[in-house]
Amino acid sequence: MDNLLAIAVGSIFVHNFVLFRFLGLCPFFGVSKKTSSALGMGVAVVFVMTCASAITWPVYTYLLLPYEIEFMRTVTFILVIAAFVQLVEMVIRKHQPSLYKSLGIYLPLITTNCAVLGVTLVNLEQRYSLIGSVVDGFSAGIGFTLALLLMSGIRERLELAHVPHSFKGLPIAFISAALLALAFMAFTGIRL
Amino acid sequence: MSELKRILSISIPLILICIISGATLALSFDLTKERIREVEERKITESLASIFPDASFRKTGEYYTVLVNGEEIGYAFLAEGQGYSGTIKTMVGLYQNGTLSHIYVVSQLETPGLGTRIIEPEFTNQFSGKRIEDLRLRREGGLIDSITGATISSRAITEIVRTRAEVIRNET
Amino acid sequence: MKLDELTKGVFKYNPVFYLVLGLCPLLAVSTRVDNALGMSLGVLFVLVGSNVIISVIKQWIPPEVRIPCFIVVIASFVTIVDLFMHGYAPELHARLGIYVPLIVVNCIIFARAEAFASKNPVSHSLLDGIGMGIGFMFAIVGIASVREVLSTGKMTIFGYTLIPQFTQSPAMVMLLPPGAFLTIASIMALINYKKTMKKEKE
Repeated sequence: MDNLLAIAVGSIFVHNFVLFRFLGLCPFFGVSKKTSSALGMGVAVVFVMTCASAITWPVYTYLLLPYEIEFMRTVTFILVIAAFVQLVEMVIRKHQPSLYKSLGIYLPLITTNCAVLGVTLVNLEQRYSLIGSVVDGFSAGIGFTLALLLMSGIRERLELAHVPHSFKGLPIAFISAALLALAFMAFTGIRL
Repeated sequence: MSELKRILSISIPLILICIISGATLALSFDLTKERIREVEERKITESLASIFPDASFRKTGEYYTVLVNGEEIGYAFLAEGQGYSGTIKTMVGLYQNGTLSHIYVVSQLETPGLGTRIIEPEFTNQFSGKRIEDLRLRREGGLIDSITGATISSRAITEIVRTRAEVIRNET
Repeated sequence: MKLDELTKGVFKYNPVFYLVLGLCPLLAVSTRVDNALGMSLGVLFVLVGSNVIISVIKQWIPPEVRIPCFIVVIASFVTIVDLFMHGYAPELHARLGIYVPLIVVNCIIFARAEAFASKNPVSHSLLDGIGMGIGFMFAIVGIASVREVLSTGKMTIFGYTLIPQFTQSPAMVMLLPPGAFLTIASIMALINYKKTMKKEKE
């Protein structure tokens, strides 16, 4: 039985997807200019990551493993994720137009967010059970959102700060990310 | 009718691409299958040989029984778990009296230069001759010195080896 | 004219420093120059392969399923790289870990498929793929060299020592995640600085 608390704390803090595994960096720098859009993106990512973990686990265990076609996992996983994201987009657009307005624009971006495919591959590598995978997917999403929110808070303040000309924009964002990553390294000693 | 036509015209190209992709991948899988199996097997044989040189091995369920001149002297088994930044997989040799013969790290993804020093003999040699109970870091009451700057990797591999060794000891 | 398609990816529109794409593998596997070279060869292969195939089949793909079709093509090439790397370069394969299958979601590849290969003839797409691949290689090997030299105090590529040990107390932090962010920040700031200097001269 997986230690669910260890999985959760591990994915949120210790092996934070953005700051430790370097996954999902494009949206991390792309949508972290404003806290409101960071939150929207975060919610969408948590949802897709949790569902992607829940879907890919049975696909791998009951479809790929029995027929010994594990080598198809990359193709299958990414297709499943892309199809799922598109389906969610259609459903939300039809039934929840107001939610679509606030989250819809982030959904297409998520298909190519490496953190989503990344979490499904990590689940396999760690041989989590179905519940373990879902918890891992959820907490990895929370970890991503946490990093994104912290980053957007920093960047909103950076707008007002006096930054050397050459460092304006992305370079200073990378420096902030470096300091955040340094701070998150303090979590590595946690034992559960 | 036109609706059906539309659906078909959209889905047939996608299905065709998937079929072609599946066929290509099956072909490349077939081409590399033997080679990958050899690579994986070589890893196991190499690690077994480095723990018990000049011995023969008999696969017994989850572990290997080690035979020297036809006599059982111990067991060898794979232990695997989460390290600092990835899975650590190591081969462990255990004598029948419950002391360790040696460990050999098969694969790890620790930080180069720091955590990767768990594969160096200065670290792994510490495990030889220790009792399973003593496989803890010195600061936690055991007999293993951790690597400076890589306490987490050192602790991870020590715990991985001990937990698995305890399981195997109870099975044999 | 055609040569432009090749060189633009290397310098002018470098996918990493200009387009800010493909950051994840860039930072994750740039701890050592060997890893960076292996990774960028994989990316180059997938990029060229998918650009050419997508350019060839573009007229038969209905726009509604464009994205899934591209993804399947890209993922197939990635799996081929994964399988052959496992068989013929097992050590590299083990070191790169999950970042090999993750080439699929390397935004450079998808962005070039969507923005270039699906609109341009095969020959241009081929050159574009090679150029962008080499541009990525430049960036990742550059970052890896800085990180390897600063964090180990030496540089060895595939067993050959290029720079012998020059210090006994290297900056370990460069190996860890913060070091990756610091390196790319400094390189980008340097590029910005060069750009402003150039503008001031004109």
